[in-house]
Amino acid sequence: MRADPIALGGWQRRERTLTIAVVGIFALVILRLFVLQVLEGSRYRELSEENRIRVEVLTAPRGEIRDRKGRLLADCVPSFTVTLDPFDKAYTRAPARLDSTLAALAPMLDVDPEMLRDKIQRERTISFLPIRLKRNVDMKSVAVLSEHRDQLPGVQVESEPLRRYPLGLMASHLLGYVGEISDKELAKPEYADYLSGDLMGRMGIERRYERLLRGQDGKRFLEVNALGRKGDFLGEKHPVLPRRGTDLELTIDLDVQRAAEDAFEAGARGAVVAIDPRNGEVLALASKPNYDPNEFSTGITQERWNELSGGGNYPLFNRAIQAAYPPGSTLKPFTALAGLETGAITAGTYFAQSCTGEYRFGSRVFGCWKHEGHGSLAVHGAIVQSCDVYFYQLGLRIGLERLADFMSKLELSGRTGIDLPQERRGLFPDQAWYDHRFGAGRWSRGIILNLAIGQGEVGLTPVKLAQLAAFIANGGTLWRPHLIRSIGSNGLPRSGAPDDSMKQVVAISDRSLRIVRDAMEAVVSDPQGTGGQARVDSVTVAGKTGTAQNPHGKDHALFLCFAPVESPRIAVAVLVENAGHGSTAAAPIARKVLQAFFHPAPPESAAVVTRR
Amino acid sequence: MLSPRFSPDIDRPLLLATLLLTLIGIAFVFSATSMPSAAAEHGLYLKQIAYLLLAILAGGLIAAVPYRIYEGKTSYLLYAVGLGLLVLTLFIGHVGLGAQRWLGWGPIKIQPSELAKVATVILLASQLADRKKDWTQIKNLVGPVLTAAVPCLLVLKQPDLGTAIAFVAILFTMLYWAGLPFLYLFFMITPIANVALSFFTPAWLLFLGLLAVILYRSRIRLLPLLLVVGVNLVVGIATPQIWNHLQPYQKQRITTFLDPGADAYGAGYQIIQSKIAIGSGQVFGKGFLHGTQKALAFLPEQHTDFIYSVVGEETGFLGAALVASLYLLLILRGIKVANRARNRFGGLLAIGMTSIFLYHVLVNIWMTVGLAPVTGLPLPLLSYGGSSLVASFLQVGLIQNVAMRWREY
Repeated sequence: MRADPIALGGWQRRERTLTIAVVGIFALVILRLFVLQVLEGSRYRELSEENRIRVEVLTAPRGEIRDRKGRLLADCVPSFTVTLDPFDKAYTRAPARLDSTLAALAPMLDVDPEMLRDKIQRERTISFLPIRLKRNVDMKSVAVLSEHRDQLPGVQVESEPLRRYPLGLMASHLLGYVGEISDKELAKPEYADYLSGDLMGRMGIERRYERLLRGQDGKRFLEVNALGRKGDFLGEKHPVLPRRGTDLELTIDLDVQRAAEDAFEAGARGAVVAIDPRNGEVLALASKPNYDPNEFSTGITQERWNELSGGGNYPLFNRAIQAAYPPGSTLKPFTALAGLETGAITAGTYFAQSCTGEYRFGSRVFGCWKHEGHGSLAVHGAIVQSCDVYFYQLGLRIGLERLADFMSKLELSGRTGIDLPQERRGLFPDQAWYDHRFGAGRWSRGIILNLAIGQGEVGLTPVKLAQLAAFIANGGTLWRPHLIRSIGSNGLPRSGAPDDSMKQVVAISDRSLRIVRDAMEAVVSDPQGTGGQARVDSVTVAGKTGTAQNPHGKDHALFLCFAPVESPRIAVAVLVENAGHGSTAAAPIARKVLQAFFHPAPPESAAVVTRR
Repeated sequence: MLSPRFSPDIDRPLLLATLLLTLIGIAFVFSATSMPSAAAEHGLYLKQIAYLLLAILAGGLIAAVPYRIYEGKTSYLLYAVGLGLLVLTLFIGHVGLGAQRWLGWGPIKIQPSELAKVATVILLASQLADRKKDWTQIKNLVGPVLTAAVPCLLVLKQPDLGTAIAFVAILFTMLYWAGLPFLYLFFMITPIANVALSFFTPAWLLFLGLLAVILYRSRIRLLPLLLVVGVNLVVGIATPQIWNHLQPYQKQRITTFLDPGADAYGAGYQIIQSKIAIGSGQVFGKGFLHGTQKALAFLPEQHTDFIYSVVGEETGFLGAALVASLYLLLILRGIKVANRARNRFGGLLAIGMTSIFLYHVLVNIWMTVGLAPVTGLPLPLLSYGGSSLVASFLQVGLIQNVAMRWREY
């Protein structure tokens, strides 16, 4: 086939074909216009004059969240939402009509009319849907609204599922909350399936598992006339039914969680993380002060938001994963492990200087917390009595390079990878870090003394501390802490076999581990130990206290522990901000957590609480 | 300069259709923005009149210079400028309605894809005008295909699927006019059809069978035959595999991209409102400025993409059919001019410009009457917008240029 030769005057055959095609295309348009305007015209005229087509979104209920024993943490209940359709005929004919509607509506809903107007201005440019003015409106307001219906064109009361957290403050940081999607998020392609005014998970499980929990909203095209609803529109668009979100069962044990939260005194700030050292399941994750996520489900005022996100105490801040604290003496077992593993010491090594309550390094004096001194100690006694002078010398002997190297094996400068958003990195600085921070050669070798006892630049999150406690408990495995036990309502049965992708085994000798574990057991059981307050009936507990100096106020109290020592099933990290000694402020909290785990209250009382 | 010797050959019906459509456009831009709820847009028709003066000037100038000037080196230069503007848009463009389509200095904003279409047609015409080449040879097609593919991909990146497809439509129309057998064009589309059908095995097998029969009957050479078969098999088998290995969010991105209306509650609703507007116009319409649906839903787009539904509502079947007929006239005259030209470059130039009109009118009007998905393409000459108006006048100017000099070889 060769190209047609081009005759004088052009391309006749092609012209004819193309002309026929074009005429055909336009004939189709004319035919379509004829159908729409002449044949069906009166029907469309009626639609345009009397009625109005609107889309109704059928909001999908979010999936339920339960604890490992099936106790409810979050569900949905029906509620009333008041919406306004800005494209109602009343407003498109006379835009000023909107002002009088809002003026009448605002007192009934007890909201500021300016806020409603802003919301309408903003959202009407994004979609053609009725705009949600207020969620969770009570029956009384609904009754008042219905009475004044004729003054409120385009206003509807719709039924919508409302996110409810039946336990209120309990586990708030862990669960997170829901809030309306922001305009900035709406503009992003990954939120293409969201509409203005939609709720989405913020923080915690709600955020992390948003895709699962959300489900899929349905929609229905309705024909609405002045009197109310008339029915589905023309049958052209079938309703899309909402799909309920997926249920989640958490690894959390509500008994342990409750004990952890209740153990704090009113007004105290701190965090507790409890982990199963056999598989990394998080049994409890608490942060104080906490907040009531129910407040967010219905929309929250700016003032209240400012109060929660700041307000001196920062209640929204999840101290268990978002804050790094110097670990203080709770780091000593790991410094000891580093010493034993690098060969710097053995179980029988005594240092040249016995503890006299202070240690002289160059021109500086480093004190021991016990001013009268501990005398001469080997590693066991140094851990039991938490002797600073021993660890100063140990740190010097190991050296910064080897100590930082060992700590990097435990990923102290990383994240644990827990399935919650916004986890903060920890930090155990090395030489390069100091060179970068202060300039090469412009920092003192003395920093190692502080690092060895968990002070100075080192900072760890409570969840990392719990992972480290579990690491000693299970003999050298770093489990990635995780919160999901099963997904879906008929969920996967618990297989019992832990997921290997979540673990990382660190090569460490059993002998070193045994020395440290024996010492940690003695911290709690030995009369000279600092952790006596963590003793629990009939269970052997191993632990380590910590008291971290902090430039902004009173010391932070810390405690790490695991139990039972023979075959550990729980590892706990406790942190209490500005509370003083770990032995008196943190260890008692750990005891209550262990108590709840090993000797839970009878199930009847638990059921009473969940019923609220 | 415009020499009086040629002016008698100016295509009068084409000129008339263009001017009538433009005036109707200004009237309905005025109507579409006249509601009290659109106070911010009340002056837009005045701006449209200013754009019209600019457009007439641009169209007149491009028509005055003998069109042979645009052939050869000049066509590459124009094309390079067009591409340059498109690349610039990707980096420093303004975002409008979720895509980066605009380029601006201070108060002036232009949509370079409109100008790129014109430049691409000029270069394609110049390339395809080479009579010495056998246009059934695959190696000869590489040049024109690349010429259309580069701006197509740049526009796709914005992302503006509707305009990107315009480049494909232009290429195919011009290849057909240049002498490529219809069957070849069919084979070129097969891989695309294949991607769409590969998810539904029975339809895919049926399609392959049909393709095999057509291939057998067509007796094309062995190399192109193997190429068609090979590409189709690879595409058909690989597509579902790739799709299944994509992450859910990646899939979502692709479906949203291909069909923006699938998720958005807005688009499906727009079509319903557009149909109600047009349908409610009945035979005679509600009268100029008396439309009621325009005050409703498609707020940002009724004076641009959905202007035809305002026409349909206010002037009824008679007005809507008249406007459609004017477009039909414009396009048929374009084809006529292309056919009449003795010069091959001239003929291709005219048909290319006409194909831009054909594609836009087709897609836009079909969208407003509910025959095609929402794509966001303007209706040439009628919709509000300076870039589109200037580009339309450049197209008409070039067609007239060829019409006036049809005798030249």
